[in-house]
Amino acid sequence: MEPSTPVTPIQPVKLEVRNLRKTYPGTVALDDFSAEMHGGHVYALLGKNGSGKSTLVKCISGAVIPTSGELFLNDRKLELKAPGDALAAGIAIVYQELSLVLDFTVAENILIGRYFKKGPGGSIIDWARTNQKAAEILAALRIDIPVTAKASSLSVGQRQMIEIAKAMSYNPSVLILDEPTSALAQFEVESLFRVVQRSREQGLIVIFITHKLNEIRGVADQVTVIRDSRFVGTIPIAEATPRTLVGMMFGDTQVLRRPDNLPVADEVVLEVEHLTRGQKFQDVSFSLRKGEILGIAGMLGAGRSELLRSIFGADPVDSGRIVVHGTPVTHPEIPAMKALGLAMTPENRKDEGLVQMLSIKDNLSFASLTGIAALGFINDRRQAPVVQRWIRELQIKVTSAEHPVSSLSGGNQQKVVVGNWLNTAPSIVFFDEPSRGIDVQAKQQIFQIMWDLSRRGLSVVFVSTELEELMEVCHRILVMDRGRITRETTPEQTSLDQLYAMCMEA
Amino acid sequence: MSAATKSLRDHVSTFALELILLAIIGFLCLFARGFATWDNFLNIMRNASTTGIIAFGMTFVIISGEIDLSVGSAIAFYGCLCAVITEQLTKRGHPMVPVILLALLVCFGIAVLTGMFTGWVRHRFSVPTFISTLAWMAALRGGAYLLTNSFPVTPFPEWFQFFGSGYVLGIPFQAIIFLVVFGITWFLSRFTTFGRSVYAIGGNAEAARLSGIDVLRKRMMIMALTSVLAVIAAIVVASQIQAGNPTVGTSWEFTVISACVIGGVSLIGGKGRIWGTFVGVMFLEIILNGMTLMNVDEYWQYVARAVLILGSVLIYQSQEMRSRD
Repeated sequence: MEPSTPVTPIQPVKLEVRNLRKTYPGTVALDDFSAEMHGGHVYALLGKNGSGKSTLVKCISGAVIPTSGELFLNDRKLELKAPGDALAAGIAIVYQELSLVLDFTVAENILIGRYFKKGPGGSIIDWARTNQKAAEILAALRIDIPVTAKASSLSVGQRQMIEIAKAMSYNPSVLILDEPTSALAQFEVESLFRVVQRSREQGLIVIFITHKLNEIRGVADQVTVIRDSRFVGTIPIAEATPRTLVGMMFGDTQVLRRPDNLPVADEVVLEVEHLTRGQKFQDVSFSLRKGEILGIAGMLGAGRSELLRSIFGADPVDSGRIVVHGTPVTHPEIPAMKALGLAMTPENRKDEGLVQMLSIKDNLSFASLTGIAALGFINDRRQAPVVQRWIRELQIKVTSAEHPVSSLSGGNQQKVVVGNWLNTAPSIVFFDEPSRGIDVQAKQQIFQIMWDLSRRGLSVVFVSTELEELMEVCHRILVMDRGRITRETTPEQTSLDQLYAMCMEA
Repeated sequence: MSAATKSLRDHVSTFALELILLAIIGFLCLFARGFATWDNFLNIMRNASTTGIIAFGMTFVIISGEIDLSVGSAIAFYGCLCAVITEQLTKRGHPMVPVILLALLVCFGIAVLTGMFTGWVRHRFSVPTFISTLAWMAALRGGAYLLTNSFPVTPFPEWFQFFGSGYVLGIPFQAIIFLVVFGITWFLSRFTTFGRSVYAIGGNAEAARLSGIDVLRKRMMIMALTSVLAVIAAIVVASQIQAGNPTVGTSWEFTVISACVIGGVSLIGGKGRIWGTFVGVMFLEIILNGMTLMNVDEYWQYVARAVLILGSVLIYQSQEMRSRD
């Protein structure tokens, strides 16, 4: 396709989604979704995790073929079989994961595969014209980055803008941005918004997926909400108060309550004092009592996982200290924190929690090898009872403990990660997003495990993006925003939409 | 397909390499004159032992996701170092036995330090062991030439031959070392926390770290272990030729790595068995021995090795794919 400078389309653009439906075996990802969008507007697409946002944009951009339903662009029916079809029809998408070739220049990245050619048979790349074209595209969006700069020399925000310029070079009438600000600093967000405004002024439909309620005011003029795979509504930004939006996003979600028999003792087992790690989190202080389940709420990038990892010794800390059972620690290291009774099930089960190719048995014992083995010697006679105990207690569904852990479902894998740590007889357990990617029943079992730990006098810190989970499981909830603890509350004191507003505001 | 036949098929595929080796042994017993004799068996064991000793260490290295290319040069370097120290000190009138003991001690000491260093730069600076041991490969080979002025050094007394040519109860001493190292490393891999940690690190180093395994220490130990085994092999070689010779051991690293790969050790890490490496070592040696006995041009051994490497990996990969179904 010949690259061209973005120009204002003569006709007003209209995108119509009619009864879009996408099912996967066992789940409905998108259900009878209908909506209409018009050129010259920026639509913020809002919805909880798993509400169907990404399935929707994947259907619109041709990455996923819908089970049924129709798409119309300017009253012309679209038949999208592949991402290339959507691009040809004028729909461009910029994904969260950037796709730039870091060793290429800005111009090469923008016009990749579409360079101007010269010489016999067009066998030589005409760099002068290619660079000039790229510069024109950037100028039209008022992006001030030299086209000969290497992509590797740019900040994440600049790379994001180059991605948008690349998308715009296809002269689309619909531009979709998938959480473009999640990795950006504040000043970068603002320049990104200016680029988005430029695209809107050119008459495009811009669809902007985000989690951050407070951010959309800077860029969107319409808000479209999706809930439980269905279209809820589109409202102008002026009418979108946090209360309205949270109401639209959550509906009347039933918040379950934790069991009553989970007493919290007075004894403080963990104290975190003014803990700081660079840009990740600053001046964090809190304490945790025996038997308590403490939740940490916040948006992606608020620094929750980073905080847990630093307390556990997986990442360094800059300043502050941690007191575990009365023992002060200023530079936590995993083996030492483990010895003090800490355990952590990491956020990313697949890459950090398990050795996929090894057996269930091995994965249940890695954290406790020294405990199982006398003087470094280990054998089945010692290992088998420990392994069988957790398979039984955590109800891990296995045919044989010798099978690779990769053969288990997500929920059962998560239980293996938990069992690996319970084997070390900890007194404080950190759960970092334990419910991600597991089914409802397995989720409830993980919650049961946390409550059981609390009953046995263990303390739990629970990080989750799913606020209703925190409301259901925890005694007390801390809210983190941009590296700081901003609020503290309890499920009794607050409602789900209030908690959501707490995470969003500031 | 019934359960019984399926499990039979599974067993055949699990022990495919062993079965093929047995078939080849059967063939050679029938058709290679002089193959099925006690002397020839001892001969095979003797030849297998030097690369075999190192291969057991290399197995740990590869399971942990690393590689050691320096072991061939190490054969030359430590043999030469031992010879030069012996020559220089005995020339100055020091008694032979303590001098050789001292020389061995120095060799083992340096080997432990270089191995630990390799593990350390791998961990702290993420220098791939392919690179750092490539550097050691050049440095140790160069060191061997520099130490000896590129001529063999021959200071060893007659009893020194024992390590490479001696017998205990009718069995070559080096074969005994080979079997002892096999036994120890097999035990390490199966029954110690060290062994389990090696698999964890090779399978997923980050998960191992987050489980509280001291990854740095383990990496240093693994690389040092292999260096130490290379010194043992170097002493055996130096003893056989009664000299420190800077040209020995050339490209042995590839023989060693081949044996591991044939035995099913995965270069991706996390997977492999000491027993597999033992079979791999014996496989290579038996093929070579059989071809010699049947008067096949010796250069065909390279072709045979190629077939072995590729064939065995194809078998493992197809097993892997089937188990994923």
